[in-house]
Amino acid sequence: MNVAKRKLALLLPVLTLLVTLVSACGGSNNNGGNAAEPSASSGAQSETAAPVEGSRSVGGLQVPIVADKLELSLWSPSGGNFRGTDFNEKYSFQQMEENTNIHINFQHSTEASAEAFSLLMSSGKLPDIIYNDLWGTDSGKYGAQGALLPLEDLIEQYAPNFKKLLDDHPDIRGQITSPEGHIYYLPNLVLDSQDLTQMFPQVRSDWVEKLGLQMPQTTEDWYNMLKAFREQDPNGNGKKDEIPLVTVNLENIMMLFAPAFGVEYGFFVDNGEVKFGPNDPRFKDVVAYLNRLYEEQLLDPNYLVDTTFQTLTEKVTTDVAGAWFGWSGSYMGNFTTLMEGKHDTFKIAAAIPPKGPGGDQRHVSFRWQAAAHGLAVSSKTAHPQEVMKWLDYQYSEEGILLNNFGVEGKSYDLVNGEPVYKEEVTHPTNGLTNTQELLNHTIGGGSWATVADTRYAEQIREANGQTENPLEIYKDYIDFDAKLPPVQFTAEENEIVVPLMADIQTYVAETINAQIMGRQSFDDYDKVMKQLEQMGIGEVLKQYQAAYERFKGK
Amino acid sequence: MAVPVNAIKAKGRKQQTKRSSLSLKRMMANRYLYLMLLPTVLYFLIFEYKPMYGAIIAFKDFNPFAGVAGSPWVGFKNFEKFFESYYFFRLLKNTFLMSFYSLLFIFPASLVFALLLNELRIKKLKSFLQTVSYLPHFISLIVICGMIIDFTKPGGIINSLLLGMGIISEPIQFLILPEWFRTIYVGSGMWQSLGWNSIIYLAALSGINPSLYEAAVVDGAGRWKQLTHITLPGILPTVLILLILNVGTLLNVGWDKIILLYNPGTYVTADVISTFVYRRGVMEADYSFSAAVGLFNSVINFTLLVLANRISRKTTESSLW
Repeated sequence: MNVAKRKLALLLPVLTLLVTLVSACGGSNNNGGNAAEPSASSGAQSETAAPVEGSRSVGGLQVPIVADKLELSLWSPSGGNFRGTDFNEKYSFQQMEENTNIHINFQHSTEASAEAFSLLMSSGKLPDIIYNDLWGTDSGKYGAQGALLPLEDLIEQYAPNFKKLLDDHPDIRGQITSPEGHIYYLPNLVLDSQDLTQMFPQVRSDWVEKLGLQMPQTTEDWYNMLKAFREQDPNGNGKKDEIPLVTVNLENIMMLFAPAFGVEYGFFVDNGEVKFGPNDPRFKDVVAYLNRLYEEQLLDPNYLVDTTFQTLTEKVTTDVAGAWFGWSGSYMGNFTTLMEGKHDTFKIAAAIPPKGPGGDQRHVSFRWQAAAHGLAVSSKTAHPQEVMKWLDYQYSEEGILLNNFGVEGKSYDLVNGEPVYKEEVTHPTNGLTNTQELLNHTIGGGSWATVADTRYAEQIREANGQTENPLEIYKDYIDFDAKLPPVQFTAEENEIVVPLMADIQTYVAETINAQIMGRQSFDDYDKVMKQLEQMGIGEVLKQYQAAYERFKGK
Repeated sequence: MAVPVNAIKAKGRKQQTKRSSLSLKRMMANRYLYLMLLPTVLYFLIFEYKPMYGAIIAFKDFNPFAGVAGSPWVGFKNFEKFFESYYFFRLLKNTFLMSFYSLLFIFPASLVFALLLNELRIKKLKSFLQTVSYLPHFISLIVICGMIIDFTKPGGIINSLLLGMGIISEPIQFLILPEWFRTIYVGSGMWQSLGWNSIIYLAALSGINPSLYEAAVVDGAGRWKQLTHITLPGILPTVLILLILNVGTLLNVGWDKIILLYNPGTYVTADVISTFVYRRGVMEADYSFSAAVGLFNSVINFTLLVLANRISRKTTESSLW
């Protein structure tokens, strides 16, 4: 007996080791859940939230929000332009913690955010606050699943700053409300219409001047300009190496030209009726036009393979690209900064949306005042009130300034009461572009649940040597009636739209590209439309129409 | 290797007879051996068998917040959705063709490569070639795909070579033309795995008794006769086992490589079941659906494995079980 016991005693350490090993493996899966611990331990205090001593009001919100430091968890991709590893390295969040007495444990994913996000949501272990840039379509789905907290009542009670914004801009409420009437996320807001433009056509204006051309006004002008770029050697190296029109995807090219023919690549509104571009007879003209560009090598023949921003940057900075469609900061601004001192005449200018043969001229690449990106609250949070208050702080004057400009004396100075970035932010000497440097100190007003400050973009633009605002010229072309608003679907509608569109998208991408490249004829475009009809586009459009009507009714 | 495979089978039979007479006493006597087995058993239970439970979401409308158990049953709805999908047959065809071509070209290629290496008499050259040939196996797939894209560009090395030799007069846009996709996929796959796959054959080859060759030489057999009468029969069981295993994964294409290389221009030949699932399941977070497709894929693979094994057992002596 004793022998057996002794042998058992020998076995024990081995077993313990095994058990620890196994449980350690199990534990590592719980990464997302570790945030729940601090919340649970301090859960009691949320009940007894009394006015904090020495508090002050920020637009009606009392800060600090809690007397004893509270920790909340927040999931967010860290973003491409931020060079650090944790948002708490930014001055703005350090200051915010001091002001609100709430510490945020950031859980960052790297760049592949769409996959990372859906993995997070399927894990069932959620942080208190979740960032996403597709809440427009995702919030209803996850809201119905019970992952997100409906926020209407909390906003009513605890978010005076955000509530005031909703009251002052009634349209916003409609843009973020789900079909069931819930608000599941707080969006990024742009209140000035000239800042609504996102991407726009950009042209090498020094090439235009050199060849004695004018900035293009119509689709024919565009064709002629690109042709001149191709044939008259604007970079002057004696070689025919110019690639007149470059892009990272077909969508951007479509946003540039399709509206000139009265359609869009995706869904749009035509006299109150939702339509799908490729299912419109006018779309044939778009394909014909792009096919002409492709055949004459005006459109980058590699556009299907070179799909990274890196390859595009390479083409622009090696002086072979003539025109593209992109953002103000990360395209125009970055390229200008990169070429500074390396090229005598390098200059980019914004072109107006081209006018088509039928007289159509619209700008479609703009966003709504309320963006689809923002912060949602998970249903797992133990501190709904405090979370709401912290979110509300982002929309207070103080919070907006912090998010857009950072901390006074560190990243900006007050000049005549106006925030002005410090020299080392606008003209960094550490090898970063100013956008990157800025994001080391603040979150950036255009990508967070806050209000984007016009002065932020203005100052960066000026620092990049753009004296006039390129976005201003688009104001007149923004067509709110033709752009499909951020409609949200019910679960039943989603059930129909998602599977049908999966096949339709594949078919469209494949067919349109084949026609542009001349591998398939676009003469009998009727066939494409017939095929789309067969694949159920009519059924999809019905759902879109219903969602659109609902949106209008709000 | 012929001997080892048969030996394993023989051993298995012996163990079976032993097992029937197993008593607790015997187990206790060998308890340390069993203890050593424990981690492996635990590993399989925890990491291979437990997750299988999750496959039932293929029959449910999975909602992560209700959990696997709490999500409502939907029967075969997800499977029907997949079968009714407009591109179902194209996906099936592409998946099958892509893996069939891989099997057809890559599988014998590494065998031939191993045989050729085996015939090399210069030791140093042999090991040099072997090392070089399995280097690509260690390069990250992302890098591999970057290299493929660069090589196949209009100004890339392949086009330059073909132009230089006068085979073509205009550069070919390999990655945009659907008719080239499978060639690129299989060709690069061969380059990636040729050396690595040949290792197991080389091991089998070294297991052949040298006295057989000596006897054959005495009998007047040349290199070719040695190959057909000693080498090939010697490694045949290994080849067959590997073939069966390969058939068992016939529908598992390297989807990550396809995703990195395909584009709408090549969907026609490049879109396979798993890339479709990626676009549908992961991007749209439709987990039940992708689980159903994955399960469908596995069932076919399993069926093929059983079939291949049965055919092999009927026609030759070798089989997995």
